[in-house]
Amino acid sequence: MTNSIQELKDAELIFVIGSNMTEGHPVVSYYVKQAVKKGATLIVTDPRKTDLTRWATHHVQIKLGSDIAYINGLMNEIFKNGWADETFIKEHTENPDDIRKWVQAYPVERASEICGVPVDKMKEIARLLGTTKSAAVCYTLGITEHICGTDNVKTLANLQMVLGNLGRPSAGLNPLRGQNNVQGACDMGALPNVFHCYQPVDDPKVIEKMEKAWGVTGLSNKPGYKMPTMLRKALDGGTKILYCIADNTVQTEPHMAHTIKELKALELFIVCDIFPNLTTQYAHVIFPDYAWGEEEGTFSNTERRVQRVRGALKPPAGCRPSWWILQELGNRLGVDLRFTSSRAIYEDMRRTATSYAGITYDRIEEQGLQWPCPTLEHPGTTFLHKDGNFSRGKGLFSKTDWVPPAEVPDAEYPFALSTGRRLWHYHTATQTRNSVGLENLFPEELLEIHPQDAARLGIKSGDMVKAKSRRGEIVLKAWVTERSAPGLCWTSFHFEEACGNVITNDAFDPVTETAEYKACAIKIEKVKSAETPMIDLHRQARP
Amino acid sequence: MKESMDINSILNAAIKREEEAYKFYKDVAERMDNKAVREAFQQFAEDELGHKDFLKNCLKDPSLLKNLPVPKDYKVAEATEAPLLSVDMKPADAMALAMKKEQEAAEFYLKLAKTAVNSQYQEAFRGLANMELDHKTRIEALFVGIGYPEVF
Repeated sequence: MTNSIQELKDAELIFVIGSNMTEGHPVVSYYVKQAVKKGATLIVTDPRKTDLTRWATHHVQIKLGSDIAYINGLMNEIFKNGWADETFIKEHTENPDDIRKWVQAYPVERASEICGVPVDKMKEIARLLGTTKSAAVCYTLGITEHICGTDNVKTLANLQMVLGNLGRPSAGLNPLRGQNNVQGACDMGALPNVFHCYQPVDDPKVIEKMEKAWGVTGLSNKPGYKMPTMLRKALDGGTKILYCIADNTVQTEPHMAHTIKELKALELFIVCDIFPNLTTQYAHVIFPDYAWGEEEGTFSNTERRVQRVRGALKPPAGCRPSWWILQELGNRLGVDLRFTSSRAIYEDMRRTATSYAGITYDRIEEQGLQWPCPTLEHPGTTFLHKDGNFSRGKGLFSKTDWVPPAEVPDAEYPFALSTGRRLWHYHTATQTRNSVGLENLFPEELLEIHPQDAARLGIKSGDMVKAKSRRGEIVLKAWVTERSAPGLCWTSFHFEEACGNVITNDAFDPVTETAEYKACAIKIEKVKSAETPMIDLHRQARP
Repeated sequence: MKESMDINSILNAAIKREEEAYKFYKDVAERMDNKAVREAFQQFAEDELGHKDFLKNCLKDPSLLKNLPVPKDYKVAEATEAPLLSVDMKPADAMALAMKKEQEAAEFYLKLAKTAVNSQYQEAFRGLANMELDHKTRIEALFVGIGYPEVF
């Protein structure tokens, strides 16, 4: 996030797009609701009627994967009415003439045709954005999990620069990260092209710095593969060994049958995890790991806040921390990684860190600090790009054009399917389905289907239905609801016995290689009528 | 009267330093390729002119120096390596260079304050150091906002 979570409560306008934050990020949604209670305008743009829409001034129900057309249309209207922040654009952006020209291709009438939002509604949203002094944009995987995910993000950045909403509190561009510590994992260099704190592996100065600090030579300066490439290369021998820590790959990657084929092709597949899951079935070696309540360390959340986590429970016999397993593996391979504890590893990282250099365990004993925090005296940074400054100097507008999802409904597969997460379960539910309470609250997967579509197919809530794509099929219970628009179905990937990723499309954004989990085409058929009416469905499915 | 004259010579020397700093930033700005970096250096040059004006006012009323608040010093410049001056500098490097220069200026005045022969001179040098520290802190805040980007 460019800004901080708590700043949201003071926002004048919050523009939420592609984010079911009430279920995916309930703490963030708390601050959004606080802002609404204080009088803020809340615009929720989502193909589904998520719970947050109950709090929204406007719910804009766009068609799946039409974000670029919608936002470009809004910018067109903002320029047309003189609502752009011309001072910010002039002083803090490189190519303002370009963006004015590019969005001319998206008059609201054309944008409306693509995104399905009525022209008057688009004009009203543009007016609200353009005439409010300051607005925060929040987005999640509904923006990034598309083949055009990178361009979706760039389009939102364009919008915030046009409105001058960067470099000030309660504004900014705020991606809500997909897991509690995905920010921390990226910060620590769990990416193919950077060391910790985003120091590039192909920068000779960085290599020299790390070699000197670690007392080694010959560190590779070649960026590695991103995960989809890693897996794809298993099929042609390019990837022989995969070491997987706490990722239920089979259930989280799209097109499950293909993922299994890739994992089976590996010469050696090692998995570190806390419970058996779909992925451990394909592992040659399984290392039992510590769980989060058993491990020491830090989590870094979506607002860049580094927080201490502590072991509160005694781990089961035979389990070890991830770092200990790596240390022992290193020993057996003749490499002493010199890992002795989570704290020692953190300190070792901090010595060569940049934005984390001022964050020590002692400083975050009681409360976390937000990076950049480059010195021990520094208080951390609540929002970035102060006074409209950017890493490259001035902000660069990017040209983005709408493209449809890689797979759209047709005569054979007439429904669009989008996938996501539910409040009651976390990710592949490796942990939450081992919780009796949560499993009782939400014990089985559902497929959302609009009442018009359900009526046409003779489907009632509680009926068992088959959802089939070109890649596979799942059988699950139908939930007839207006949460999804006509023609759109929705499910999650929490349940291995009916996992959405059996049928999702393995088409990827070319830059990030993020899969298009949010859009594919399916057909639906009723398998079995409900034996008893599902009166509790609404309570179960909606927080 | 003599003390006042000596304070004046301290201030005049400081004014000369600001003029030199102004010239440095202005010359550097003219040679920069990146427009934003050019503008950043132009702004730093303007800031030095502002300091010069302030010091001129101090000549009339030396007590102004005493009223300068002591800024928070997060020591970001101290923890940052000085980048080499080049025509294709990145904005973060331009800011790093400027904050290093402000750090040096502040240290210069603090050193003089330590060796000053009387409390009046000490106060004057501390005031000058605070002026430079304040500038350093402001540039550091800009640097921190852009110097540590996430990249993929």
